[in-house]
Amino acid sequence: MNTKGQRILLWTAPPAVALLALAYLLFPVFSPPLSPTLSAEEVAAFFRDNATGVLGVAILCNLIAGSLIPLFAVTAVQISRVATSSVVLTYAYIICVGVGTTAFILADYCWGMAAFRPERDPELVSLLNDMAWFFFIAPVGTIIVQNLCFALSVYLDERPDPIFPRWAAHFNVVTAVLLVPSAFSILVKTGPLAWDGALSFTLRLVTFAAYIVVMFVVLRRAVNNQGSEREVLV
Amino acid sequence: MTRRRSRKLDQWITFWSVPFFFTIFGLVFVPLSWMMPPRSPSASTPDIVAFMQSHNLLVACVLLTLAYGLAPVSNAVYLMQIKRMSVSPAFRYTLMMGAITGAIVGMLFPMFCFGLGAFRPGYSPAVLSMLYDFGYLAFIGSLGCFCVMWMAFGLAILLDKNNVLPKWLGYYTVWQYMSELMAAPVWINKSGPFAWNGLMTFWFATALYVSWQLVVYTCIYRSIKKQPEAELDNADITRTRDSRTGAPA
Repeated sequence: MNTKGQRILLWTAPPAVALLALAYLLFPVFSPPLSPTLSAEEVAAFFRDNATGVLGVAILCNLIAGSLIPLFAVTAVQISRVATSSVVLTYAYIICVGVGTTAFILADYCWGMAAFRPERDPELVSLLNDMAWFFFIAPVGTIIVQNLCFALSVYLDERPDPIFPRWAAHFNVVTAVLLVPSAFSILVKTGPLAWDGALSFTLRLVTFAAYIVVMFVVLRRAVNNQGSEREVLV
Repeated sequence: MTRRRSRKLDQWITFWSVPFFFTIFGLVFVPLSWMMPPRSPSASTPDIVAFMQSHNLLVACVLLTLAYGLAPVSNAVYLMQIKRMSVSPAFRYTLMMGAITGAIVGMLFPMFCFGLGAFRPGYSPAVLSMLYDFGYLAFIGSLGCFCVMWMAFGLAILLDKNNVLPKWLGYYTVWQYMSELMAAPVWINKSGPFAWNGLMTFWFATALYVSWQLVVYTCIYRSIKKQPEAELDNADITRTRDSRTGAPA
């Protein structure tokens, strides 16, 4: 067995990122991000006017919502190689990925639902939009724990020749901290913490994008260093 | 070779995150939001509206969105014990998949139903009472994902020949998840012992669940403590990984 499979899975990440970036750029809801202060009628009017754009991106995201999973799966395999007493951190990581991805898919469905029948009672369209934003911005808990599991495994690695560099662990901790403000988007409707604000929206997405790029580089190195060493996650 | 730190540090850190998580979980649902003990399914509309608009629900929601990632960690701690048993990996994969499906439907989604009501006080009473019903039914009525998790856990303990966890815990677990099924009628009762705030479906089921959880937790503590150092994945970091994962060489 060699690492060819892992390398193939790893290289699905760049096209996945490109498609997610495309979805982001095309999504009417994000340009600029809808304000939480809009009235139900304004939200309903927005989805009436932009139904096609929203639905197009909802369909695209329905197809690619899980497209970063292979990158996370390779991360899990590499975490399982780290010399700690068990693979408990790997398992926690995998469950977090499944849960976090589900939240993202629910956000996509709620926006799709809002645009599917925009003549619905404006109050219901507004509820679907609120729910979508809740699922998209707020549930940072799993990605935070995911990053902390990764960081912890690096800190605890007893190998003389560690799988991951220590700076990658520090980077994951910093990323986790930068994602925390998004959880507070539920509390406010204006300012940097609101779901369209500088901290909850811009910082969250920029952090996530940077995180994916850095992790790709880190993993490429880890997988290449693995060489022909046999490591299987069971 | 002498080492200053415990070689099981990964297992201990994740283990101690469990009481931390359950403490936050308890705080969120009881004193912060008073969602629990559950309000009545037949509460009057003004009562439902007043509750759904309380600001505390939002604070509880924030805390849960930050902490709910620890639920996977607690499940991973349970999974690790199954991994040490002489049973098929299918048992721990079952627990893993149950954990993935359960986290959103049984925890985040219900919390968001309450949070959404409080987020926009302008919602009509009809929408607020729908969110109220959906929140409570999803929280108390989510059974399938959790039952399958504990079924796999109980059966694995009973089939295990390595005696990782005591056999009586296996029988206890099987009995516990069977008795959890009695919450199924919450979907058809609006009052009485089998409503979502009922004596049987909430109070009795919660008493059984919490005590069982404490017992499991104590058993896992002893199991991690007892695990011989030679059996650890990092027992010999210079050795190839094959002997540690059990993968064919």
